[in-house]
Amino acid sequence: MIVALLILHGLLAVALLGAITHQALSVLTIAPAANGRWTFVNRFRGVDATAYVTPIVVLFAITAIGGALLYPQYRIDVRPALEDTQNAAANGVFEIKEHLVAIGLGLLPVYWLFWRKPHGPETAAARRYLTWLLAFFVWWSFIVGHVLNNIRGVLP
Amino acid sequence: MKDSRLTIFSIMFGVLYLVAFYYDLALFRYYPEVRQFHWLRNDGLGVVILWYGWIATATLASAAIAFAVPRNMAERLWPGWAWIIPTAAVVGMLIYERRWFVS
Repeated sequence: MIVALLILHGLLAVALLGAITHQALSVLTIAPAANGRWTFVNRFRGVDATAYVTPIVVLFAITAIGGALLYPQYRIDVRPALEDTQNAAANGVFEIKEHLVAIGLGLLPVYWLFWRKPHGPETAAARRYLTWLLAFFVWWSFIVGHVLNNIRGVLP
Repeated sequence: MKDSRLTIFSIMFGVLYLVAFYYDLALFRYYPEVRQFHWLRNDGLGVVILWYGWIATATLASAAIAFAVPRNMAERLWPGWAWIIPTAAVVGMLIYERRWFVS
């Protein structure tokens, strides 16, 4: 059961990572050159950012809940093993992950609000920076989650 | 909850989460080895998870502040605070969590 939940959590995280990365790149202020080639990056950025808002909110919340359900197993099995092997940095990056996810959950209402309503240019910067902040949280959590899940193979 | 109240909730959440974390103000504690929730500390029940309790504390406190702030004041809030204050909270957290990486 716990393995199935872990795999589901990972798959939802992949979907969230893709959605937030599309949106984060789409709100870059640097516009692609008008006569420039239609590169992969331009295609990746050239999306309707508003279409990603609800999926990102839902995926972030569900993935966080999945992580919360997995957390007891981590606390019982993994963390003591890391402590026994004096691996403080691994515990540290995970602790940062849990803080970022919690702060991200709190940001979801204002993120959703600023994207949902056409507030105009006065909220454009806030929208962009909130998106980048959430993107940082998701990338950190994704990388740390995967490294810790595979840490026995990663470390010598 | 009106729009301005949602903004205040989000602005306050990160700060109050860090306060709950730093001062150990978890609303409740979960002991995974015995699968029990407790309001108070119980040292004999094995490892403890405080994270759920910190989130609950921050949620309740942020919601209380969001409803307590007068509406006209909430509506005059500059939108930039919505990302600046959470970013400052993240930076503060990262500075505090350096403790894991220095010997």
